[in-house]
Amino acid sequence: MPDYQLTVNGRLRTVDGEADTPLLWVLRDTLGLTGTKFGCGQGVCGSCTVHLDGKAVKSCQTSLREAAGHTIVTVEGLSKDGTHPVQQAWLAEDVAQCGYCQPGMIMTAAALLKHKAHPTDGDIDEAFADHVCRCGTYPRVRKAVLRAAGGAK
Amino acid sequence: MTSRREFLKVTGAAGAGLVLGLHLEAKPRPGEAAGAEFRPNAFLALRPDGTVRITVPKTEMGQGVRTALPMALAEELDLDWSRIEVVNANPGPDFKSMQTGGSTSVSSTWTPLRKAGAAARQMLVAAAAAHWKVDAQACSTGNGFVLGPGDRKLGYGELAEAAAKLPVPKDPPLKKAGEYRLLGKRMPRFDGPAIVTGKAVFGLDVRRPGQRFAAVLRCQVPGGQPKAWDETKAKAVKGVKAVVKVPTGLAVVADSTWAAFKGREALAATATWDEGAGKEFSSTALEAQMRTALTGPADEARKAGDAEKALAAAAKVMEAEYAFPYQAHATVEPMNATVQVQAEGAELWTGTQSPNRAQSTAAAALGLKPEQLKVNVALIGGGFGRRLGTDFSTEAAQVAKALGGGPVQVVWNREDDLRHDLHHPATLHRMRAGLDAAGGLSAWAHRIAGPSILRSWMGGQKSPAMASAEANGALDIPYAIPAIKVDYAEVEAPTPLGWWRGIEIVPNVFARECFLDEVAHATGKDPLRLRLDLMGNQVIVRFGRDEADIRRLKKVLRMAAEKAGWGRKLPAGRGLGLACHAYDGRTYAAEVAEVSVEKGQLRIHKITCAVDCGFVVNPAGLEAQVEGGIAFGLSALFSQITWDKGRTVETGYHDFPVLRLADMPAIDTVIVASAEAPSGMGEPPVPLAIPAVLNAVFAATGKRIRRVPVSSDSFK
Ligand code: FES
Ligand code: FES
Repeated sequence: MPDYQLTVNGRLRTVDGEADTPLLWVLRDTLGLTGTKFGCGQGVCGSCTVHLDGKAVKSCQTSLREAAGHTIVTVEGLSKDGTHPVQQAWLAEDVAQCGYCQPGMIMTAAALLKHKAHPTDGDIDEAFADHVCRCGTYPRVRKAVLRAAGGAK
Repeated sequence: MTSRREFLKVTGAAGAGLVLGLHLEAKPRPGEAAGAEFRPNAFLALRPDGTVRITVPKTEMGQGVRTALPMALAEELDLDWSRIEVVNANPGPDFKSMQTGGSTSVSSTWTPLRKAGAAARQMLVAAAAAHWKVDAQACSTGNGFVLGPGDRKLGYGELAEAAAKLPVPKDPPLKKAGEYRLLGKRMPRFDGPAIVTGKAVFGLDVRRPGQRFAAVLRCQVPGGQPKAWDETKAKAVKGVKAVVKVPTGLAVVADSTWAAFKGREALAATATWDEGAGKEFSSTALEAQMRTALTGPADEARKAGDAEKALAAAAKVMEAEYAFPYQAHATVEPMNATVQVQAEGAELWTGTQSPNRAQSTAAAALGLKPEQLKVNVALIGGGFGRRLGTDFSTEAAQVAKALGGGPVQVVWNREDDLRHDLHHPATLHRMRAGLDAAGGLSAWAHRIAGPSILRSWMGGQKSPAMASAEANGALDIPYAIPAIKVDYAEVEAPTPLGWWRGIEIVPNVFARECFLDEVAHATGKDPLRLRLDLMGNQVIVRFGRDEADIRRLKKVLRMAAEKAGWGRKLPAGRGLGLACHAYDGRTYAAEVAEVSVEKGQLRIHKITCAVDCGFVVNPAGLEAQVEGGIAFGLSALFSQITWDKGRTVETGYHDFPVLRLADMPAIDTVIVASAEAPSGMGEPPVPLAIPAVLNAVFAATGKRIRRVPVSSDSFK
């Protein structure tokens, strides 16, 4: 089996795995980074969202081959100690209910704000179109994104 | 035989009560308290360094019990919130009947937890007073310290050892509401920091040394069995270690989840099935049977006066049929469980709402006694009643047993989770109303036809409580109508059913509140006025085992209507609709929806929800429950599970839609200040969302929708 190299949360990792293995399972089962969640494996719930070269991608739809050579950031690597403005805004708005979908949402929010410092409601709707939160945390997700954007001013 | 509600009430209350009774009197067990921790009861351990561990006997599934329940204990004990650690209880001698459901978590543990805190506080004060040789009356407590005369001050940690030697007071006095420092304050979720950094451990995140991952190939038709299969291709998949037969199907075991999934796919291509008794089941056939049952024999759930006679004598009879489909829980974390059996003992890790039942069923599958299996309750990535079932944890035990011990994690994928859910069943509702010559409502008849959740839950047994369980939400109609008949006609279905957030109350209140709206419009009455008039001067009304205070319901209805601006002029194509219900006679809620329909597109702008659930432990948590409950209710307006050839048509979030962020309306929550004992809030907002929205659609368009789910065709 070939070796693949990728940078995960600032560390260069060599992964011995099948080319078609979704990055999601490489993170969770091979590298032990369980903060990235499995919700559907079908690309429609957003729970598995990570950053690939700074862009939000669904790790269940990204193969190891595609991820190789790129820089991956997961929720564990977003900040050293939970101080990323999005994480702080999430706590301030008390967004989480069960919490399961939240790492994916947080990664999408962080990527959105990186590319658009002051998103409109429409931008937020669009960015989260592929996210499912069965607990219904949506009103607070929106508030937290806006709060994080305000903080970045 | 008991209804779910009774079942939960009895087990919940007895569980918490027993724990307290047992442990307030229990001596510290050898080796546990000895000079170190102060453990006056099963809920609390105070360490010499002043840190405190609070054990929560309810499962966190997003409803905030790991915040609200520690608040109750911490309040009475005057703890320093920043020094608290919260752990989940393990089922066993200390916790004999843990169960999380029925919106009972706070109500059933509220008193025991406060007493646990108050008893410990009294002991710490006594220990300090003895040390200082002062009167205990002269001492007070605050933020983890006992304070005595003349600036004396000792931390709880320093007093732990001495306090542990004192007798546990039996009935310590509790604070009065005015003295609360934590209770009633907005408290952010305890697990927030772990969640936003990805450190929170859900069932699927459990990792044991040497752990394998398994995916079970199950018959798409529930109850079906594999007839023949070829393991060669599955075993050729890199990482696949074994294929084992288990009662639910064929488990493909691998060194990673992905390999297990791939191996299963290869195996599926070779398998043939005996699809069993359910293989012809379809939603279409079920609906035809239900329609027949709408006019056939039925079991009575509520009778006031003689409704048939009153309908025959009525000047006008209105009649309508309402339909609600099968629904799925669709928790974002799919079902999973991890089992390990070793010489030193057996362990199960899973997100469960029924830890004790998970323990006994998985232990039985492993050939062990319940006490030989330690159950670790993981955080739950969504419960909504799905994880009251123990099918998935029992299956994991069966896989572990077939493998000779594990550790193995059985992972369901999204399709498994939707197909093999314990679904909420479809129902049809025949509604009839009799109007007298003056347009007054003289008779009400509500016939419910559909599969029984309770029968499925009781392992297929018919229960005398079935009619009242399936008519919950219909039989407790809060309106004083001279003649009322509510009955239930069972139509059997071969699919396993379970409790779904809001249970039968969702379809029943949908039919009831929408049909009442029809009566209001047909008789030229304002829907709010009609409801208030029909509630009239009723005070306490008994419905079967429940009792509702109709005054509290009227109050929330008035408050929601007022806050939403009921009666104000709206532009064309916009409308307001309302619905209200006294949930299990304990939580009173009313919702007003504001919607518009433009070019066949429904837009839900806002929902105003007024609630009275007694004393509110954590307003921040309550508001989250209202938002989440409404989102859950609104999702059901657009989703359904359809059966064809014995299997679900839907296989994921792409065809079982769940509300997305862009469609979430603004939510305005109005909380009624109350000193009554707290009741539950997880479910009560759910059933009102659909009828409030559909009544608003009628106000906006004049179109009456009696069938869920809606599609854009519904508004044409
Ligand atoms: S798990 Fe990747 S989108 Fe759902
Ligand atoms: S917080 Fe539970 S699924 Fe989003």
